[in-house]
Order: sequence, then C-alpha cells, then structure tokens
Amino acid sequence: MENDEPIIRIENVTKVFGNLKALDKVSLSVRKGEKVVILGPSGSGKSTLLRTINRLEEVDRGRIIVDGQNMMTRESDINRIRMEIGMVFQSFNLFHHKTVLQNLTLAPIKLRKTPKAEAEAEALRLLKKVNIVEKAEAYPAQLSGGQQQRVAIARALAMNPKIMLFDEPTSALDPEMIGEVLDVMRTLAKEGMTMVVVTHEMGFAREAADRVIFMDHGAIIEEGAPARFFTNPSHERTKLFLSQIL
Amino acid sequence: MSESGTNIEITDGAAIPRKRDLGLFSAWRICFFGSVATFLYLIIFTPDPYLRIAKFLPDGILVTFEVTFASIVFALMLGLITGIGRVSKNGLINAVASTYVELIRGIPLLVQLFYIYYALARFVRVPDMVAAVIAMSVCYGAYMGEVFRAGIESIDKGQTEASRSLGFSRRQTMIYIILPQAWRTILPPVGNESIALLKDTSLVSILAVADLLRRGREFASESFAYFETYTMIAIIYLMITLILSKLVSILEDRLNYYGKR
Repeated sequence: MENDEPIIRIENVTKVFGNLKALDKVSLSVRKGEKVVILGPSGSGKSTLLRTINRLEEVDRGRIIVDGQNMMTRESDINRIRMEIGMVFQSFNLFHHKTVLQNLTLAPIKLRKTPKAEAEAEALRLLKKVNIVEKAEAYPAQLSGGQQQRVAIARALAMNPKIMLFDEPTSALDPEMIGEVLDVMRTLAKEGMTMVVVTHEMGFAREAADRVIFMDHGAIIEEGAPARFFTNPSHERTKLFLSQIL
Repeated sequence: MSESGTNIEITDGAAIPRKRDLGLFSAWRICFFGSVATFLYLIIFTPDPYLRIAKFLPDGILVTFEVTFASIVFALMLGLITGIGRVSKNGLINAVASTYVELIRGIPLLVQLFYIYYALARFVRVPDMVAAVIAMSVCYGAYMGEVFRAGIESIDKGQTEASRSLGFSRRQTMIYIILPQAWRTILPPVGNESIALLKDTSLVSILAVADLLRRGREFASESFAYFETYTMIAIIYLMITLILSKLVSILEDRLNYYGKR
C-alpha cells in the first residue's frame, strides 16, 4: 500500500492567538514512515503546528488531513482519529492516579475494547521495549522524569498508532536522562514509525530525521535533509539560529 | 492542603484539627473534653433538669441527623452536576449552573427555607421534613458545586490533553481521568461543608421539623428552663461537630497522594 498520498497533509493553516499570528498559512506534508523534526526558536509556532495535527489546537483557517480523514470534522469522529495518533508531551502527563501498567492499558481497554489480559500482555511487552518493565506496578510520582517519559511513549504506543507526535519530549528532563528517552525514540524511528518531533536536540535531528523543518514567526522558513540543512543552510535566519544553538 | 505559599482557610464548617495540633491543650481537645466533662457533670450532679432535658432530646438528634444525611446526599449530587456544568464548554449549561450558584449564594439560607417551604406549599403539600431537605440540598448544592468546580479545575490541563490525545471523549476524560483525581482535593472541603450543613439544619426547626433545636424549644417553653435547655443544646451540637471535624481530619490524613508524601 505504498502510495504517494501523504499520511499528514497540512494546507494553508492559520492560527491566531489574540493579535499574534502563531501560524501563518503553513503547509506541510508528511509521508508514511517519514521522520520529520521541527526546529525553531521558542514562540516560532512549532509546538502549535504539532498540536494542530491531532487538533489539540483548533485552527482558524486551512485544512488538515490525517490518514485520509479531514480533521475539521465533528467532535465524535475526532476521538476515533486521535486513537491513530500517539502524542508525547513535554511534561509527560501520565495519569497520576493509575499505575504504570494501568496508564498503558486504560485506553486500549476502554476505547479499543481489548480484553484486559491481552492489553496487559501488550503493555508489558511495550514496557520491556522502553526498558522499564520492573516499574509496572509503580505510580508515576515514584518515577524519575526520564522514566516517566519512557512510560508516556509506551502509553501512546499501546494504542498502536500510525503516527507519533513528540512535543519537546526531552525539554523538561535533567541532562543525564535525555539519552534514555532519545534512545527509545531512535529505536522507534528505525522500526519505521511515522514521527513528527519538535525538539531542541540537534543530535537527534541529525541522525534520525529524514527531513528537518525550520520555523520562525509562525512560518516554515526552510526545510531539507539534515545533512544539507545543518552543513549548508540557505536562509539567513536559519544560519543565525544554528549558530546560536550549536 | 497546599504545599506552597500561605493558605488562608476560613470555612463555615468547623476548624479541622491539623495533624500537628498534637499538644495536650489543643483547641480541639479543650473544647471536646470540656464539653463532654460539662455534659456529664451536669447530668450527674444536677439531674433535674439536665438529665430530663437529655432524655427529651435524642428524638431531635435523630431528626437532625436524618435531615443532614439526606441533604448531604442530594447536595452532593446537585454539586457534582453543578460543578461539571460550571466548567462546561457549552454556554447554556454553563450559564444555568453559574446562575444557580450566584442566585443561591446571594440569598440567606433562612430566607431560602421560608421561600421554598411556602412556594412549594402553593402547588403541592409536602411533609415539612421533605421541604427542609429540598431547601437544604438546593442551598448546599450550590456551595458543593463550587467545591467540585475548584476540584476539577485543580487538575493539571496536561491530564486532559493526554486523555483527549489518546482518543477519550470529553465525558470519558471527566469520568476516567479528572474526577478520580479531583475527589482527593474535593473530599476535605466537602467534609467541611457537611459540618456546616449539619449546623445549619438548626434553621429547619422554624419549619416545624422536630430537630434537636426544635425539641429543645418545646422542652423550654413547657418547663421555662430556657438557660438550662439551651446550654444542653449548645453542648450537644458542639460535641457532634467536634467529632465530625476530627473524622474529616483523619480522612484528610488518609488521603496520601499516590506514593507521594
């Protein structure tokens, strides 16, 4: 089923907060299996753009089509489409009142009607994959930030999504914990998951991304393969950004 | 409750004893053991009239508890609905819930009691007891609604976003994610409101409901022992609220936060 129809198609999306244009006629397509990393200074609109993909952020104008489904649809349908889009947040957002295992099984059991035993077996498999199976019965508050984020990734994967969105997944972590989270993301990338990642981790962008997008002031300034993007950026603002951050 | 910053807690319930108030002479202990000692002293050493009063009142205590319990149950239901309505994105639901809260909070309970009692009487004849419970529930439903609203709003927005991004609907998010976390915040103030409600049930004695205060008034008007009767009434209310406030504080301590603290 490899065709050219992109799995995410964002067309001329505009989003206004008060009198600030967070997104200004942004268009972006992501192919199935592609890893796209979005870079940019804070306030550039990169997180807003990411959040429009699963409609955590409503757009004012434009069109977003994910997996053939128009995202500007009714509320009841949006919930079904969101089951196919995993999201990982900067602040982890694990459910505090649930154990790690329950965090992973809640959505599959309630939404996909997966039998409990099956959901738990799958959850344990995913916890093994993100290297934290020994904490299955712990509560989120008992975990470190890096552990929580790995659980959060596993929680999103438990719904078996077609797309994974990462919103600055390592920005709230202590430096020594960033590596363990990026390792999990790299593994995921190698397995062919479609990923859109907002991050400041240039190392990750360089090795894992198929394409790097640079945003500033609510618009895409430049995009390209990481090799060219990092060594030979064409735009002045990109050069300035890279010189500041590298 | 809060871990950071100053917290001014003024409630219309009762002062909830804190865990650190372990001193022998904490306000709670002075009041509780003082009232128990006074009570015993009076009925043992001056059985006439105190023992007679004490024997006359249990029916009233029972009625007070009945009105309190029934009102708490209905007020909680009303409060939950109101609280959810107050955070609803639906403008109409939100407006209805908010108007209810504003309306009720702006009218003294005693006036509400009279109003509901006589307004109801125009259309249906309901027993005094039922009118009392309706009035108390409607009033405290509004207060409880504010408690529920605050509890719901105290849950981090990220919890909702994580839940919605997994595909849960707004309603499912409320049921599976928000309310199970919010009740820990909600429970102590609900306990407080319940104590306040119990005290306010004394107002229903106006409506010919034979609660504790009403029974006392009956006794006093026959025996003319006004001072002695109201002394007993006050001591009994005090003992009840002190026991309940202790229970709320024990409850608060039990709510250890999922491995935290």
